[in-house]
Amino acid sequence: MTLLGVTDIAKSFGERRLLAIDTLTLSAGQSYVLTGENGSGKSTLLRILAGIDAPDSGHGLYGAQRFDWHPYPDWLRREVIYVHQHPYLFHSTVADNIVYGLRARGVDAGRREALLAAAIAWARLDHLLATPPQKLSGGERQRVALARAWVLSPKVLLLDEPTANLDAESRRQTIDLLRGFCAAECTTVVACHDRDVIALPEMQPLHLADGRIRPRPVASD
Amino acid sequence: MNLIDATHAALRLLLSADPELWSIVGVSLSVTLRAMLIAMPLGIGLGYLLATLRFPGRRALIVVVQGLLASPTVVVGLLLYLLLSRQGVFGQLQLLFSQTAMVIGQVLIALPVLIAFSLAAIQGADPRARETAVALGAATPRVAWTMLVEVRFALMAAVCNAFGRVVSEIGCSLMVGGNIAGVTRNMPTAIALETSKGDFAQAIALGIVLLVVALGINSAFAFFQGESRQ
Ligand SMILES: Nc1ncnc2c1ncn2[C@@H]1O[C@H](COP(=O)(O)OP(=O)(O)O)[C@@H](O)[C@H]1O
Ligand SMILES: [Mg+2]
Repeated sequence: MTLLGVTDIAKSFGERRLLAIDTLTLSAGQSYVLTGENGSGKSTLLRILAGIDAPDSGHGLYGAQRFDWHPYPDWLRREVIYVHQHPYLFHSTVADNIVYGLRARGVDAGRREALLAAAIAWARLDHLLATPPQKLSGGERQRVALARAWVLSPKVLLLDEPTANLDAESRRQTIDLLRGFCAAECTTVVACHDRDVIALPEMQPLHLADGRIRPRPVASD
Repeated sequence: MNLIDATHAALRLLLSADPELWSIVGVSLSVTLRAMLIAMPLGIGLGYLLATLRFPGRRALIVVVQGLLASPTVVVGLLLYLLLSRQGVFGQLQLLFSQTAMVIGQVLIALPVLIAFSLAAIQGADPRARETAVALGAATPRVAWTMLVEVRFALMAAVCNAFGRVVSEIGCSLMVGGNIAGVTRNMPTAIALETSKGDFAQAIALGIVLLVVALGINSAFAFFQGESRQ
């Protein structure tokens, strides 16, 4: 069953046409790995899907609901989470970062605490709670960002090169968390070059070249 | 009286809890604090809006604000005097030569500094900060608050800069305050008056207090600016 689909997405920067995607459909609960050369537009595509950037034209379908980007609907923002390649952590505490989205959704304090504790256990962050976010290593930041997304139980998770520039151990931990997401009912798209991620059995490949997705995703009914 | 004697007398004044001296210091700090309390939310809010909203005339408005940074305080004083004087638009309010008039003047002097610095702070913030807040589902007011908190050190630097500028300005305070003893006489106007009268002890004592305040504010400014660059 298709969860999120976009049609006729065009995006140019100046003279250069970066994306010209006829259709891209993501099935509910399926995980995808999005490959493509540097500069092929992977980040831009994910940012468009998350409503952080807008395409020049095109529209989308989420479940049975049509949407476009002027403006990108708030109800869809609650379902789709994008995580930067180098995640930004707010200059507060690790715990504040994790519950940020819960606060924004008006989740009450009791439920927030419970989810925070679960997220800390899930991403193994207990020993980092007292560390200022700005002092964390790249891998630790990535885990905080994943925990911050995880507490929101997004329907669609868009990860931008989550394992790039990480050492072997951090990479392994990040891939573990990633698989946790994929195993849940979350529809996941991971932009990356990482062979170990590409080779994960649950991943369906999407390849971006010349602004198009190829081969076409094997859309299930 | 020579300079050495005057300085001795000044130190004696400072240490002797001289009521006149400390009441002048009190007027200065009270007026400036009230002005800053009004100017801070206004200036930071306007700076944020100017950094975030896109509307026709925005660039022109930014140029105007930056121009006002260099506006001489006597000119602000002159304009305010004309507005508040008996024949002025706000003459009915009878505010001329009152602390309220001084507060208004200092708000006007502080505003461009606060607006321009907050604008620069928000524009200089990491674009991922806003994107992350939006992506995590924050509505516009929460995004704004998050951004202001993220650049809080730059904002504190802006506040220190404005405070330092306003606490030591003389032109506007003299014109709309009138340097009335015990009411609108603040440190800068008192220093000018005592010096012109030849009472150097009082002037030097107040000069030392003003210098300490300015140095303190400037150290805080340097500290916050350093923190904001981390
Ligand atoms: N805001 C922008 N302005 C101009 N060019 C941009 C902008 N964002 C991305 N690009 C260009 O689009 C191209 C694709 O970028 P990106 O989506 O980051 O590719 P990838 O993630 O696949 O490496 C790059 O060549 C980049 O220079
Ligand atoms: Mg990229």
